Amino acid sequence: MEIKTPLKTQTSFLLPAITLILLFVVYPVIATFLLSFNVNPVPGVDITNGESVGFNNYLKLFKDFQFIKVEGLKTLSFPVGALIDNIIWVVIHLPLTVILGLFLAILLYNVRGGAILRGFIFLGMVIPMIVGGLLIQFSFDRTLGVVNLFLRIFSLGWLAKSWTIYPNTALLSLILGSTWLWTGFAVTMYSAGLASLPKEVIEASIVDGADFKTIVFKVIWPMLRPVTLTVVAMTLLWDLKIFDIVYASTQGGPGGASMVLALLMYNYFAILQNYPMSATVSVIITIIVLPVVLLWVKASMKGVESSG
Amino acid sequence: MVALRKGITTQIAITLIIAIGVSLAVGYGIGYIASPGKTVTVTKKVTGTATAAPAPITLTVIGPWAGNEMKAFQKVLQAYEKEHPNVKIEYRIYRAEDLASVAPPQFAAGMAPGDVIFDAWGWWVTKMASKGYLYDLGSLVNTNEYVKGIFNPVTLNGKIYGLPFTAWAKPGFWYRKSFFAKYNLKPPTTWNDFLSLLAKLKKILNGPPIVTGDGTGWPISDLVEHFLITFGGPKLQLELINGSVKFNSPQVKSIFEQRIVPLLKEGYFSPPTEWTKAVQLWWQEKYALYFMGTWITGMVPNASDLGIFQLPGCKGVVMGTDYIIVPKFTEHPKQALELAKWLATEGQKIHVGTHSGKFATWLKVPISAHWKPMQEVYIKLKSKKPLPDLDDTVGGSWQKLFWDQLKLLWVSPGKLDEVLNTLTANFPKK
Repeated sequence: MEIKTPLKTQTSFLLPAITLILLFVVYPVIATFLLSFNVNPVPGVDITNGESVGFNNYLKLFKDFQFIKVEGLKTLSFPVGALIDNIIWVVIHLPLTVILGLFLAILLYNVRGGAILRGFIFLGMVIPMIVGGLLIQFSFDRTLGVVNLFLRIFSLGWLAKSWTIYPNTALLSLILGSTWLWTGFAVTMYSAGLASLPKEVIEASIVDGADFKTIVFKVIWPMLRPVTLTVVAMTLLWDLKIFDIVYASTQGGPGGASMVLALLMYNYFAILQNYPMSATVSVIITIIVLPVVLLWVKASMKGVESSG
Repeated sequence: MVALRKGITTQIAITLIIAIGVSLAVGYGIGYIASPGKTVTVTKKVTGTATAAPAPITLTVIGPWAGNEMKAFQKVLQAYEKEHPNVKIEYRIYRAEDLASVAPPQFAAGMAPGDVIFDAWGWWVTKMASKGYLYDLGSLVNTNEYVKGIFNPVTLNGKIYGLPFTAWAKPGFWYRKSFFAKYNLKPPTTWNDFLSLLAKLKKILNGPPIVTGDGTGWPISDLVEHFLITFGGPKLQLELINGSVKFNSPQVKSIFEQRIVPLLKEGYFSPPTEWTKAVQLWWQEKYALYFMGTWITGMVPNASDLGIFQLPGCKGVVMGTDYIIVPKFTEHPKQALELAKWLATEGQKIHVGTHSGKFATWLKVPISAHWKPMQEVYIKLKSKKPLPDLDDTVGGSWQKLFWDQLKLLWVSPGKLDEVLNTLTANFPKK
């Protein structure tokens, strides 16, 4: 028997949620977009920088050496600007996370004490990222850091230095540190994915004489495609909005060598109180992030449809 | 099926347009109602009267001091609470850079994070005053009773928006007298003396003799300013502040090239190390010299073991104060203004007697009222020309850039030209 809910009742249930979404999500998004073009979205108080309505802020941003530094790109030396730093972050961090996540998940699968080890790996995800930033700073410190300790143990003491204070190594050390913090997520996702795989498929491939490499890349990897999709999408989003660990460890320095888009946005907002420029950076971040989100949503919906 | 899809797409598009329209109207409408308006008007009632028995109130004081510095400052606040039993004071720590981020949006919303606030950046005080957020405090004190020129950074259109508290100086290189005595070392009297002292120390320590403090970057800027004042004279510091001399000018460049960069290349400076950790390392004799402000006297276990020297030939010293401001949005303006006045006068007497490492800016406080180690520092510095802090005076985004670029120079001395050109290109235009 089908129970029909009257339209009025449906609307009354939806109304509170819609009102809140309009007020606290839709309006701020539109206001930020308008502000980036110097249109004042807050009545009574002018929060624009007094310039004419138009693309001025975008032009200024592309001329800002902290956003993109052409000389750095020409000479292939840091600083190169926040936009390029974010791209470098994605290029290094994303594959590292996926590979390490899958590798560790397989390694710890069906191993006695594997759950405890997975718990340790997941610890990086539990600590607040601002603390994570400080931990990265200490880990790469010349005298106190665990990284330099390992280098000394493996007779590579000549490489020991405070990695986060040098322009050529600051960004790299942050990326490596963030890999440690974020890998727990990938390991957890892949471990859950592995646990849900039909065991008979893997057993059949073993019986058929498939070697480890074939099992991983021809059997497990294709079956874990939805998990990989989620890990890639979430890691990409994390990389593009990275802020707290950079803020806590290097503040984007030295000389802007580890500046990222979210920190640049924060600096415009909180230090310069230049709200339109801050809004401009946030619009740029949104433009970069949006395709990733849409692709992920589309792929997820496809997955739901096919499983349904 | 296609028609159904088209219909759904049209419905979604219409819903989206309506949602955007409604959200703009509602959001803008709420903003209009809640907006404090373009001009800030203070309508809060002044609490407390001269005749009625005042009700107990709590004032929030915001300052940058933590650790031993906070302990010294709390003695001042406790003295005030003793004198004014109806007032309780809650102290909150905000560094100047944090305050500059947190306070402006609150002020814009008609709120105050504290009733009485300390900030060392004159540029920030006048910026907030220009927006109408602060009380004019000029009538609270007699400005002639203070160190000359101390009100200049916080004066805007003839009105004074900040009262000076006790002053700090960034005088030179600190060393441990016992360490120098152990190795029979003496403070240098010429530049060559200084170079040979550094060479000896490097040999003794088997590493860099000078520890480089790092926070958000300011300790390096203080050190660089000391070199600029020594080799360019006090005039150069003032010219750099007002922008009449550029950072990539031959005069400034030669000071960097001939005095600072060679020392960096010789390995006489440590890599930037968090400045409070650097105090500990230096005190443990891992390093021999540390360039820091006078507040270091209150941070070491035995201040009588402290010695100090300036670079030979230096004729100036950077000095500054923490300004007391009162936001117009305080709930208790009368009591906040009273406390501000007391801190700028009687409070100074108490503060300089503690281990704060500060001098009084109120001239009615005698030198004998200061803590003994600070009396010795005062005697050493009294013949030097007091100068404003370069980056604290220029302020804004350039200040952060200055700190960051100097950190870059410290680890990559070869980037001198790039650093000086960046500082010049981004210097605020008048």
